[in-house]
Amino acid sequence: MTLATMLLLVAIGFGAGGFGALAGVGGGIIVTPLLAIYFGLPMHQAIGVTLLCVIATSTATSSQYVERHVTDVRLGMTLELATTVGALIAALVAHHINRRTLAVLFACFLLYSAGSMIKKAWNSRHAKREEVIPDYTPQNYPMGLAASLIAGGFSGLLGIGGGPIKVPVMLLFMKVPLRVAAATSNFMIGVTAGTSAYVYWGRGDVRVDIAAPLVAGVFAGSLLGARISPKIRAFYILMLLVCIAGWLAAQMIYKLLTGGFQ
Amino acid sequence: MSRQDVAADRVLSLTLKFGAYTAFALIVAGLGLQFFVPWGIRLTTAGLLVLLATPVLRIIVACLQFLRERDFRYALVSFVVLAIVVLAYVLGIQT
Repeated sequence: MTLATMLLLVAIGFGAGGFGALAGVGGGIIVTPLLAIYFGLPMHQAIGVTLLCVIATSTATSSQYVERHVTDVRLGMTLELATTVGALIAALVAHHINRRTLAVLFACFLLYSAGSMIKKAWNSRHAKREEVIPDYTPQNYPMGLAASLIAGGFSGLLGIGGGPIKVPVMLLFMKVPLRVAAATSNFMIGVTAGTSAYVYWGRGDVRVDIAAPLVAGVFAGSLLGARISPKIRAFYILMLLVCIAGWLAAQMIYKLLTGGFQ
Repeated sequence: MSRQDVAADRVLSLTLKFGAYTAFALIVAGLGLQFFVPWGIRLTTAGLLVLLATPVLRIIVACLQFLRERDFRYALVSFVVLAIVVLAYVLGIQT
């Protein structure tokens, strides 16, 4: 690998980690298509590498949320019972799904994430910051566990964190305050992605030469992003991410229609 | 604030930080050194392994914290999560 490629990967990781931490979304969603489209990596390898980036983001940012006591460790651990089972099954199955099908699923999830980011950006315009976390007791555990199983499944299949699935369910059905839901989801992602990553790593689908510079960039980006995020309005960053996600989804669909991802 | 234990949060946060900074340092050192010495890439791999080990370490630390608080219910939950993750590792190598 040349020095230029390595620096480019560091920069991509820095951007994904930084924007992800600033906007409170996983940056992994833009890493997989970039690797698959512009670096010519097979989908399985692109997903394997992204899983490591997702673990890096979760580890770097959740240390700060846990320190601020926003994360509900008990709730997170309980839901991890389901996310890890989903991730394990999906990671084992992913190997037998052909690359084009994976690419179609991924393009769909990109569009869904873009939609949920638009909604999040719209809400962030006039939302006041929750200063104090209100008292709460998580409700409806069966619903939370079912959603976690599905989120874990998507994580193992597509190498994403699954935040856009878990956060709304925790908020709407389990009656957990938004900040706690976001921090707890972020905390869970490390273990969920870790479960799938072990399967991908054991199989040799994680390329060290590509993962290392990306992970270094993600660490630097997300540590910096999490530090300055309380001072920055997420609106413009979210809109930028929506544009990137939309562009990458269009590229993936174009490549699929012209017979790519074989 | 009733659901969050301040002391336990601190230990958990330190675990995550320790994992993150160790992995980051090893990877950056390895990436730089690989252009000069052949074993540089091994440092990089070691860094990625530390990154992969951090989630497991985090579950173990949480489990021990719950045991210390005599919260056996959540200690058991942590233990089952740990078992699933270890199973993933074993299955990943075999398939």
